[in-house]
Amino acid sequence: MPDLALAAIAAHRFGFGPRPGELSAIAGDPRGWVKAQLRAPASEPPAIAALPAAEDDLLAFRRWLARQRLSARGETEMAGAGEQASASQEGRQAASLEQSYVGAFRDRFVRAVNARIIAAATSDAPVLERLVHFWGNHFTVSSLKPAASVLPPSFERDVARAHAQGRFSTMLIASCRHPGMLIYLDNVLSVGPNSSAGLTGRGAPRAPGGAGGQVRDINENLAREVLELHTMGVEAGYTQADVQALAAILSGWTVDRPRRRDILSDQAGERSGDELFRFDEALHEPGPQRLLGELYPDHGLAQGEAALLALSRRPETARFLAFKLARHFVSDAPPAAVIARMAQAYLDSDGDLTSTVEAMVDSPEAWEAPLVKFRRPEDYLIALLRSLNIQALPESTAWATTALASMGQRPFSAPGPDGWDDTEAGWIGADQVWKRVEFASEMAERFAGADLRASALAEAWLGPLLSAATRRALQQAESPAQALTLLFAAPEMQRR
Amino acid sequence: MCLSRRAMLTAAGFAALSFPSFAFGQTPRRALFVLIILRGGMDGLGAAPAIGDPLFAQAREGLAPPATGDGAPLLLDGFFGLHPALLETHRLYAARQALIVHAVGTAYRERSHFDAQNSLEIGLATPHGRDTGWLNAALGALPGGEGLSVGVATPLALRGPAPTSSWSPSVLEAPEEGTVARLQALYAAQDPALAAALRAGAETAMTAEDLAMGAGRGRNLAPLARAAGRFLRDPEGPMAAVLELGGWDTHAAQATALGPFSRALRSLDGGVLALREALGTAWDDTVVAVVTEFGRTVGMNGAGGSDHGQGSAMFLLGGAVAGGRVLADWPGLGRSALAEGRDLAVTTAMNDVLAGVLADHLNVSSRALSEAVFPDAGLRPVSGLIRG
Repeated sequence: MPDLALAAIAAHRFGFGPRPGELSAIAGDPRGWVKAQLRAPASEPPAIAALPAAEDDLLAFRRWLARQRLSARGETEMAGAGEQASASQEGRQAASLEQSYVGAFRDRFVRAVNARIIAAATSDAPVLERLVHFWGNHFTVSSLKPAASVLPPSFERDVARAHAQGRFSTMLIASCRHPGMLIYLDNVLSVGPNSSAGLTGRGAPRAPGGAGGQVRDINENLAREVLELHTMGVEAGYTQADVQALAAILSGWTVDRPRRRDILSDQAGERSGDELFRFDEALHEPGPQRLLGELYPDHGLAQGEAALLALSRRPETARFLAFKLARHFVSDAPPAAVIARMAQAYLDSDGDLTSTVEAMVDSPEAWEAPLVKFRRPEDYLIALLRSLNIQALPESTAWATTALASMGQRPFSAPGPDGWDDTEAGWIGADQVWKRVEFASEMAERFAGADLRASALAEAWLGPLLSAATRRALQQAESPAQALTLLFAAPEMQRR
Repeated sequence: MCLSRRAMLTAAGFAALSFPSFAFGQTPRRALFVLIILRGGMDGLGAAPAIGDPLFAQAREGLAPPATGDGAPLLLDGFFGLHPALLETHRLYAARQALIVHAVGTAYRERSHFDAQNSLEIGLATPHGRDTGWLNAALGALPGGEGLSVGVATPLALRGPAPTSSWSPSVLEAPEEGTVARLQALYAAQDPALAAALRAGAETAMTAEDLAMGAGRGRNLAPLARAAGRFLRDPEGPMAAVLELGGWDTHAAQATALGPFSRALRSLDGGVLALREALGTAWDDTVVAVVTEFGRTVGMNGAGGSDHGQGSAMFLLGGAVAGGRVLADWPGLGRSALAEGRDLAVTTAMNDVLAGVLADHLNVSSRALSEAVFPDAGLRPVSGLIRG
C-alpha cells in the first residue's frame, strides 16, 4: 500500500526534497528508499569527479604566491634608485593583491560550488549527498582562511564523500591527513620543541606573513578541535593536558611540500589530499604521551593513528556524533531514544557510519516527529532546484554563490571550525528570512512561465504535506509569478 | 550650562501647557555616535590641504590644488583648507559642527591596508592583538549600549561580546508588497516563528525602502547613511552605527577633478548630508567620527597618485562637536620632518581623539577606556572635543 505521507517525509527529511514524480516512486517503500542509498556502492557524481585534485588546487595557490613574489621583486629591481618610485610600486602591489587573488581563484571556487549544488540537485541518492554535506560541515575547512581557501572542495571530496559510508575512524584519520585540515587548523605550523627541527631549527616551517621567523613550538589548534569538535565534544571532560598530549602526538603530521619544478611548470597536479600527506619525523615531538589516561609510546606516525583510533572508539564520541546526526536530520532537539540507539549501533559496529545512520532510519521516532526542522539556505536552494528538476548550472555563473552569500551561507565559507549552525535559531533572523523571501521571489521571476503551474508543482512536491492554507493562497494568487513566490516561500518549503 | 538648562526647562514648561505631546512627554535625549571608516588610506593632505605651510606647494607638486579658481580649496582657518568636493563638511565647519584633526594616525607603522585597518578597528598597535573591536568594547562598558553595522559584513570595530545588529541593502530584488502581505498571512496562519521573522525583516527593509533603488555597491554612501540615521533616531534603536566607504587607495590620477579621489570625497560628503537630514533633531546629539587606516605619501608618485603613508586627517562632525577649528600639532613638510623621508608624521594619536569623544560624549569611564577600549599603554584622551 503506497504511503505518500511517509514518502514525503523520506524525501524531505532524509533527502533534499523530491524531483517531479519522485514522491509516487518512493511511496511503495519509503524507508527502503532511504536505506538502499546507504548501502548502495557510491559513485562520484560526474561534476564532482571533474573537479581538480587537491594537489592542483594547492599548486595553483603556490604558483599564484610565487608570481606575486616574483613581480614584487621584479618591480623593485626595475624601480632602481628612487625612493619615491619604489614606494609607488609597493602601493600598487598591495592594491592589486586582493584583486589578483579574486581573479585567479574565482572561477575555481564558483565551479566547485556549482558542482556541489548540482550534484545534490540531480542525485538519485540524495540521502548520501546529505551525509556528504553533513560530514563536510562536521569537519569544517573554511575558505575564510586565506592559506586554506582553495582546499575545502577537495577536502570534502577526499574526506567526507570518500568515507561517508565507511568507518568514522577512517574519516577522522583522513581528515587529519588532508592538507585542507592540516593548513586550516595550523598543524603544518606545529613543531615539537624537542624534535630535531625544534632543537636546531633545521627543517622548521616559517611563520606565515613573512614577518616572523621559524616555528619551533607546538601548535594546539588541530588537537583541540579534534577533541572538541570532531570526536568527544566540548562537554566530554578532557583536560588541557589531554589537548597538549594530542598536539604533541600529532606534531609532524604535515603536507608534502610541492617541488619547485612543479610550481614552475604548468602541469596539473594529480595527487589527492591523502597522497599529499607526509609524516615528518624531524618535526615530531619524541617520547611517549599520556592521553585520557592511556599511554601512547612513540612509534612516530603510528602513535597518532593509535590515538585517533582510540578517540573514535570512546563512548563520548559515539554520543556526540549520534546527537549531531540526529539533530541534523530529525529535529533541533532530537528524541533521546534515537540518540541512544544510534550511539549503541555506533559502538556495536566499531564506528560504522552506515550502521549508525541506519539505526536512525529504523527508529520510529525519526519518522513521527513533525516536520519542523528549518532548512539552511543551501538546503533550501537545492530543494527548490530539485522541485524544478534543474539539471545544470552554467559552469562559470556565480548565481548560486551570490544568492547563498546573500542569505548568509556562502558555500565552503563557514565562519569557524565549528561549521554552520545546525539549528533554527541560527537562521531565522529577520534579515535572513527577508533575504530568503527575496530569493523565493527571484526564483519565481526566473522560472515562472506559461507551462509552470504552482498548484501542480505543489502537489508533486509536497503531496499530503501541502496545507489547506497554502493551497488556497496559491489558487487565489494574482499572477503565476506570485503563486510561485508564495509556494517557494511557503512554510512547508522552508521546513523538512 | 546651568543657566541655559533652566531656561530650557522654563520654555518647556510653557510649551507643556499648550502642546503637551511635544514637551515633557518627549523621550530623553541620547548621545549618538557614528563611525565612518574610509578603507584604502585617505589622503589627509588632499582632503584638508595645509595651504599655509610654505613648503606645501613644492612638497605636493602635482597634487596641490590651485590657489584660486576651479579646484581651489575651501578655506578653513587660513592655514588649512578643505577639498572643494567637501561642501557639506565646509558648511558644518562654518556652523562650528566640524572639527578637523590633522597629522593623526594609529600606532601601526607598516603599510598593509588590512593590518592597518585591523589595528584601527581593534584599537591596538598590533594588528592581530585581539578579535574585539574598540567600539564594541566601548558599548560593552555602557548600560544598554548597542551598535549597528550598515553593510554586508560587520566591521571588526563593532565585533565582540556587546550586542550588535546589522542591516544591509539586498543584492536580490525585493518582492512586491502585495506578495509580502499574502505571505505574511500564510505564515501567520501556520508558522508563528517565520511570521515574526518576516514581520521584522520586512519592516527593516521598508525603513530603508529607498535603498533598494540604485544604492549601488559601496560607492554611494548617502543611501546607507540615510538608513543609519533612521535607525539611530529611533529612541529604541542602537546608539552607535558603523559605516564603511572604500575607494581611497588613490595610487593614480588623484588630482583630477573627476578622478577617483574627488568621487570618493563627494560620496563621503553626500553621506554626511544624508545622515544629518535623516537624523533630524537627533543630529544635535550626534558625533560622527570619520577615520582611515593611514595617510598617503606627501609627494606625487609616477602615476599622478600617492602611495601608502602614515599621518592623515580625521573629521569629527555633528551637533555635539565643539567644532569650527582644526586641531593639529603640525609636524611640517620639510624633508627632515617627514616620517621615513616621505610621509606626513603622526603627531596626534587617533585613539586619544576617539577616547576623548567616548569619554565626554558617551560617558565611557576612563577606567573602561584604558582597560577595555584602548588597552595599549599611554592613552591620553583629548578633552574639549565635545560642546560643553
